[in-house]
Amino acid sequence: MAENEKKILLEVDHLTKYFTTPKGQLHAVDGVSFQLEEGKTLGIVGESGCGKSTTGRSVLKLIEPTAGKLIFDGEDITKYSKSKMRKLRTEMTMIFQDPFSSLDPRQSVMQLISEPIREHKLLRGNDAIEQRTLELMDTVGLARRFVNAYPHELDGGRRQRIGIARALAVNPKLVVCDEPVSALDVSIQAQILNLLKQLQKDIGLTYIFITHDLSVVKYFSDDIAVMYLGQMVEKASADELFANPMHPYTQALLSAIPIPVVGKDKPQRRLIRGEITSPVNLPDQCRFMKRCDACQECCKEGKNPELREVAPGHFVACHCVK
Amino acid sequence: MTKTTANAEQAVMTKESLKQFKGRSMAQETWRRLLKNKGAVIGMCFMILLIIVAILSQFIYNYEADIITMSAGSSAQAPTLQHIFGTDKYGRDIFARIIYGARYSLLIGAGSVFIGLAVGILLGSLAGFYGGFIDNLVMRANDILYAIPNIMIAVVVVSILGTSPASLLLSLSISAASAFARITRAAVMTIRGQEYVESAYAMGLPTWKVILRHIIPNCLSPIIVQVTLAIGNNIIAASSLSFLGVGIAPPMPEWGAMLSDGRQFIRSYPWMCIFPGLAIMVTVLALNLMGDGLRDALDPKMKK
Amino acid sequence: MSDNILEIKDLVVHFETDDGIVKAINGLNFNIRREKTLGLVGETGAGKTTTALSVLNLVPDPPGKIKSGTIMLDGKDVLHMTDKELEEMRGNDVAMIFQDPMTALNPVMTVGDQIAESIELHQHVSGKEAFEKAKEMLKMVGISESRAYDYPHQFSGGMRQRVVIAIALACEPKLLLADEPTTALDVTIQAQVLDMMKDLIVRRQMSMLLITHDLGVVADVCDDVAVMYAGRIVEIGTADEVFNATRHPYTEGLFDSLPNLKARGEELVPIKGLMPDPMNLPEGCTFYPRCPYATDACKAKEPQLYHMGGTHYVACTAYQDPNFRLRRNSNG
Repeated sequence: MAENEKKILLEVDHLTKYFTTPKGQLHAVDGVSFQLEEGKTLGIVGESGCGKSTTGRSVLKLIEPTAGKLIFDGEDITKYSKSKMRKLRTEMTMIFQDPFSSLDPRQSVMQLISEPIREHKLLRGNDAIEQRTLELMDTVGLARRFVNAYPHELDGGRRQRIGIARALAVNPKLVVCDEPVSALDVSIQAQILNLLKQLQKDIGLTYIFITHDLSVVKYFSDDIAVMYLGQMVEKASADELFANPMHPYTQALLSAIPIPVVGKDKPQRRLIRGEITSPVNLPDQCRFMKRCDACQECCKEGKNPELREVAPGHFVACHCVK
Repeated sequence: MTKTTANAEQAVMTKESLKQFKGRSMAQETWRRLLKNKGAVIGMCFMILLIIVAILSQFIYNYEADIITMSAGSSAQAPTLQHIFGTDKYGRDIFARIIYGARYSLLIGAGSVFIGLAVGILLGSLAGFYGGFIDNLVMRANDILYAIPNIMIAVVVVSILGTSPASLLLSLSISAASAFARITRAAVMTIRGQEYVESAYAMGLPTWKVILRHIIPNCLSPIIVQVTLAIGNNIIAASSLSFLGVGIAPPMPEWGAMLSDGRQFIRSYPWMCIFPGLAIMVTVLALNLMGDGLRDALDPKMKK
Repeated sequence: MSDNILEIKDLVVHFETDDGIVKAINGLNFNIRREKTLGLVGETGAGKTTTALSVLNLVPDPPGKIKSGTIMLDGKDVLHMTDKELEEMRGNDVAMIFQDPMTALNPVMTVGDQIAESIELHQHVSGKEAFEKAKEMLKMVGISESRAYDYPHQFSGGMRQRVVIAIALACEPKLLLADEPTTALDVTIQAQVLDMMKDLIVRRQMSMLLITHDLGVVADVCDDVAVMYAGRIVEIGTADEVFNATRHPYTEGLFDSLPNLKARGEELVPIKGLMPDPMNLPEGCTFYPRCPYATDACKAKEPQLYHMGGTHYVACTAYQDPNFRLRRNSNG
């Protein structure tokens, strides 16, 4: 492959996941499409119930998508069987939100980190595996003296480092990070974010970074996608999105972040009314309509807006944006 | 330059030097907490003593000569130094019979629980993990079993297979299995939703390994507690059945059967009932103390 | 009458567990001014929630023990009240809002009844009157009156937190203790709830202790800020003083750890190391092992609070040297 050519690692085309509930079809993810270049980070932002976690899990086929197409590293993996997917788990992996429930409490740090190595037979012989585990602990900044410790003896930050080491153990290309820092204290959060960023620089990892915290994605992502009720409502490069948010929901989301500034520099708040509606049996209409200030006649009559490119690389799904 | 802080505290260590850093696993933590519980320690000591005595009893006593042979001359004697628990109406030493009978009570109690445990864990984890049809099948069958009193099941089994320790064991393990299936199912359903199970899938583990390695080991706490309590329960159940005449038949020295034998003399020779009764009570009490201690020790809320 | 609704002096709270003594609060001093909001900021384990529980004299005992200190609430010492006085005080003078709106409500009572219950209990009015008042309270927190007959599970998270706030405010307390009231909510909902709380505090002339780990929330809502570390106040002052003239290295570290102030791609500067184990606190200044400015003097003695002008105090030995400045301030 040519040096300058950008390689698309992951292509997601109209990914859809419906859950059947007693009340009707729950549209968890509804036609989400994006492309992800190797070595880049896509931030997926949204509030609880917007389908961001389901998107992350469907991309890894931990949840079987209802429809849509997944192309990973040039291969169409949409129809891959479970056993074929298992082999692919060395290439795509996941870091979980809760460092307290994502580690088996009965395994020691050594067992936790070496488990994926043993499972995929990446190395043979106990000595080699233990050596690799210790190296991984160095990589994620976990002191070697914790090698025989159990998760309940460690604090949140250290546990999250174990989670990261587990993800790295298989030498993956793509890592889906599902709110990896939201359960941690700010000072620890910064340590983990720096670590993830450093790893990207060193190993060339590609991230899908799922979070509700816009300030974290701004720091972390190349591109940002904003989701609302199962759909992408806006997608742009991080700088562009923060400088020029176009969708009314993105604007509201940005203005709702509490900013730690006191005094005259403090920006004004713009609140949106109402709360996220239930994603069950949605009508074919703009889903943000009821909470939207910009809502016009065309929105009430029109169908659900499609994601359109309104500026180079800037996609918005809104009738009102020209 | 950009290394994070945890790197600072880390000197490169060799594998040998790492051996000094021993973590304490959950099992070790539990054991440490269990030893702090006086009741559990007393219960445990008693059970260990009882098991040793039960094993040794066949070397101390001769079944034919000491346990079942009647001697009219020493019939119904009150406790003396020679017969510290007295003798029964056939002149047999009650102490020897209780010691010897411990084997039957323990074997039937523990045996039925472990058979039930194996069946229950298998059915319960399948039902809890897969849900849907399997779950319905297992749990409705369970409900039916729950609707029939255990004694009725035992009476039916015994009347089909005849009175023997084996049929007693079988009938008791049926109800134990249904209890364990319930507990395992509930535990599996909670654990199944934990992130570390999902994490195991994301690592590429096949389902059977996820169940065996991550789900079942984490369900063990409630099951272990239930095992100790169920052994106690089944000892009582076995004794009750023997007392009713559908369990172990005389002259085998089963505690319930001995109690049943003595009941007609309870006014004149009360020791015939008191001592087998006490044996049952103390054993079950010891097991319950252990079970309660284990429950506290395994409770995550007690941590820290 | 004193200018302060709440004065906490030299409070020490320990938890005596099997494994050792957890020193949750070690000599805590701060005041809340009347009709002002104090933000209490700190990380997990700093002792924030224990502080709030101490004000209500509700520290779980055992294992918790309030060792020493005084808590003056509106001129009365909370730690020397009889049980009856305490019952009077809780709910009437002080109300508390917890973090999790899911568990704070009784699932088998309608929200109207739950609000009315607390009004009935404290204001000695008839059930009917109380229910009418409950409807008013609902309206006040932005929920339509007709929903008074609904059960908690019929409400979303943000709505439930509003109900919890309505219950807390129902008896017109003088002081509201809010323990991470918006942490469990989404940002847009958090903004709505904070806005509403800010408004109610002013309208009802209440004081508030807002416990949070989020400096952004503090900047939005609070008049005064106290930064807590390992059971002590390390810096206290008005929001302007603490945010724009930061004095304590720990406060500086908190600001530097926040990603949203940074331009993209810049390295965050986390505080090194971890919170100290409250069973085994370091000698001298508890922040000493993590502090980039630490000297031997810090290890020797626990720092006192230095007055930095105005209402601004900081617990840092480095200010013995009048020329000492934090990096944050020296760069402008």
